[in-house]
Amino acid sequence: MAAPSLLELATFYVGETLCGIDILNIQEINNHTEITPVHGSDNWVKGVINLRGRILTVMDMGLRLGLLPVKDSRTLVVGYEDEHLGLLVGEIEEVVIADSLKIEPPPPNLNGAQGRFFKGVFKTDTKLIALLDLKTILET
Amino acid sequence: MSEDQARQAGSLRVNVHLLDSLMTLAGELVLSRNQLTQGISTSNARTVEVAGQRIDLITSELQEAIMRTRMQPLANVFDKFGRIVRDLSLSQDKKAELSIHGNEVELDKTIIEAIQEPLTHLLRNCVDHGIEKPEIRLQKNKPDAGAIKLKAFHEAGQVNIEIEDDGKGMDPEAIAASALGKGMVSETELLTMGTREKINLIFLPGFSTAQQVTDVSGQGAGMDVVKANLDRLGGITDIESVIDKGTRIRIKLPLTLAIIPSQIISLGRERYAIPQVNLDELIRIPAAQVKERIERVGNAPVLRLRGVLLPILNLAEILGILRTYKDPATGEEKPERRINIADRRSPDLSSRAEENTKTDTSEKLQPRKNKDRRYRAESAIHIAVVSTGTFRYGLLVDGFMDSEEIVVKPLGRHLTGCKGYAGATIMGDGRVALILDVASLAAMASLSAADTSASHLHQAHGDKIKSLKDDKTALLLFRNGEQGQCAVPLDLVERIERIRAADIEYAGGRRVLQYRGGSLPLHELGECTSLGPISVNEEVDVIVFRIDGREMGLMVNGPVDAVEVTIEMDQRTLKQPGIMGSMIVNSRTTLMVDIFTLVRTLLGSAVDA
Repeated sequence: MAAPSLLELATFYVGETLCGIDILNIQEINNHTEITPVHGSDNWVKGVINLRGRILTVMDMGLRLGLLPVKDSRTLVVGYEDEHLGLLVGEIEEVVIADSLKIEPPPPNLNGAQGRFFKGVFKTDTKLIALLDLKTILET
Repeated sequence: MSEDQARQAGSLRVNVHLLDSLMTLAGELVLSRNQLTQGISTSNARTVEVAGQRIDLITSELQEAIMRTRMQPLANVFDKFGRIVRDLSLSQDKKAELSIHGNEVELDKTIIEAIQEPLTHLLRNCVDHGIEKPEIRLQKNKPDAGAIKLKAFHEAGQVNIEIEDDGKGMDPEAIAASALGKGMVSETELLTMGTREKINLIFLPGFSTAQQVTDVSGQGAGMDVVKANLDRLGGITDIESVIDKGTRIRIKLPLTLAIIPSQIISLGRERYAIPQVNLDELIRIPAAQVKERIERVGNAPVLRLRGVLLPILNLAEILGILRTYKDPATGEEKPERRINIADRRSPDLSSRAEENTKTDTSEKLQPRKNKDRRYRAESAIHIAVVSTGTFRYGLLVDGFMDSEEIVVKPLGRHLTGCKGYAGATIMGDGRVALILDVASLAAMASLSAADTSASHLHQAHGDKIKSLKDDKTALLLFRNGEQGQCAVPLDLVERIERIRAADIEYAGGRRVLQYRGGSLPLHELGECTSLGPISVNEEVDVIVFRIDGREMGLMVNGPVDAVEVTIEMDQRTLKQPGIMGSMIVNSRTTLMVDIFTLVRTLLGSAVDA
C-alpha cells in the first residue's frame, strides 16, 4: 500500500520558492554549460545548449513562472514526451520522499499565470515544497 | 497513403554486414576509451597519445559507416515510375517507353524521399507535354513510341539525375515571348540571353500559372515549384531542349543533407552559420570606403556592387540584438549607437557635455574633427551577399570566420516560432551556433520578393550591357611564382581558399584537395602554359573555378586582389595557349588567363582518361 504511493521529489529553489519535480523526470543536472542565446524567442527561453551532440532548449524557470530571472543557476535536464529540455533553476536542495496521498492541492490564492504551473504542495516538517506541473510548463 | 509514407520515413533497411561493422567499431571505441582513461589516470602521455589516435581513426570510420546506413538506392523511387509513365501514356493514347539507368546509385534517405515528388512531376510533364501522339511522331519520322530516359550517376561528389525525352521539345522564342508578355524580363535582357537561358526562364516563379503559357511552351506547368523543391535540397536544375528532338532536364543533388558546407559569421558574441548554397560572396568594405560604397535610398541602405544596387539588411536589427562594438582605443565593448551603417562613431557626446559643464571652458561641444575617424581596421564593415530563389541581398554582420562543414540539428519545439533560423549546429569548441534561414530573414525584414529579384535581374543585365560598352571588368589579380602578375575575370571565380600545402593529396598521378566532401583537382598555370612553377610555401592560395558544372582549383601565389579596370588587352605579344593576352594593371604587365582553355586542356584530359 505504502510503496507505490511514495514519490521521490528533487527539490530546488526558483527565487524564494522551493519547488519540486518527480526525480524520474530528471535526466541529469549540469553546472556550467554555455548557453547560446536565440534572439527573437520568448523571453523565458534562455537559449540552446549542446548536450552531448543534442541541441536542447533551455528555459529560465524564474521568468517562466513570472518571477525574476534565476541567479547562480544550474541546468536540470528533464525529459518530457520525446523531447529533452533544460530548466534553469537556482540552488539545488535535497531529494525529499513524499507520500503522494499527502500532497495537497495548490492554495486557491495562488492563481493566475503562476498558479497553473503548480499541481500541488507538499509539506515536510520544516518546509513547503511546491510541485511543478511539467506538462504546463513545457507547453508552448 | 500518408500513413504509409510516415511508416517509410520511420524505418530503414540496413545491410547486416554494415551493422556488423558498426558493432565492431563500437567495441573498438569502448576499448580505446578504456585505454584513454587508463592513460589519463596513470598520467602516461604515450598511452594517451596512442589512444587519442585510435579514437580519431575509429570516429571517422564510425561516422562513415553510420552515414552509409542512411544511404538508400534510388531504386526505391525509380521503381514506381515505370507504372506512372505506363498509366499516363495509356490514358492519353500515347506510347512511351521508360528506360531507367542507375537504379543502384545511393542517396541519403531524406533526399530520396524529397525528390520523389519533383521527379514524378517532371516525368508526367514528359508524357503530358513532351511526347507527341503516335501519328504525329510517325509524321516526324520518329518511332511511334516515345523514349523517356531516366539516368542517375555519380559525378564530382554529387549525384546527377537526368530525365530525357525525344518529344517535341520547347521553343525558346515562344517562352521568351510569353515571359516578355508577363513582364518578367525586359527586351534588353532578352537580347543578352542565349537559347539555354531562354528555356530556363520557365523556372521563374509565376511563369507557368497562366494557361496560355503552358499551351505555347508545352512544358511549363509547375516548373517553378519543382525547382523550388529541388533548390531546398541544395540541388541545381538545368534544362536543355531542341524543338522536335526532345528535352533534357539535369538535376544535381548533394549526397546528403545532414552535413552542409557553411560560412560561419560572427555577430556580437555569437556565431551563426550561413549555408554555402545561399552564399554568393563575402565583401569587406574598408573603413575609409564605407561612406562612398554604402548609400541610402530613403531609409534603406544599399550597396553598389559592380553596378548593381544590393539591399543591405542589418542582421542584428532583424534578430533584435543590441549591437555592440569594440572601442578601438580601449578594447571594451560598448553598445552601438550608430543608426546608419555609414555613420561615424564619435565619443560619447553626453558625457562630454557633462565634462564641459563641469570645467566650463570656453570650448563647449568641440566641433567635429574634420579628419574622418573611420580609418581603423576594426571599423571595416562585413557584408555577406546571399541569395535564395527569389531574394538577393547583403547581410551586414560583424565578421567572417571559417568555412566549415556543419552537421544540421533541429531546434526544439519551443523555438519553432522563431523565424530566421533553419536549425542549429555544434562548433568545434562544443558551443552551439544557429543556422540562418536566408529566405525567412528576408521575409522578416519585409523585403519584397518580386521587387528585389526583378530589379536585380534588370540591373544585372543593364550592368552587363554597360560593361560591354565601356569594358570595365572586375579582375582577380594574383601571382604565379616570382614571375609577373596574372589576372582572371572575377565573375568566373567561385571561391578563393587558402590551404596548407600538406593537405594536398596525390591521387592517380594528379593533385587533389578534399573540398566540401568531394575531390577538387588542383592545377597550376605552369602545367599548360610556359609559365614556371609556383613557389610552394606552407600555405598556397587556391582559386576555385566552376565551369560547366565542373570545379577546378588553380594554385597561385598571393597576394590575391580584386580590381576593376578597363581592359585594353594586347592580344599579340604575349599570347600563348592558356593566356589570352596581356595588359597593364596597376602599372604592371599582367597576363590574362584563359580559364576556358585551361579547364578544357586540364580537365578534358581527365575526363578522357
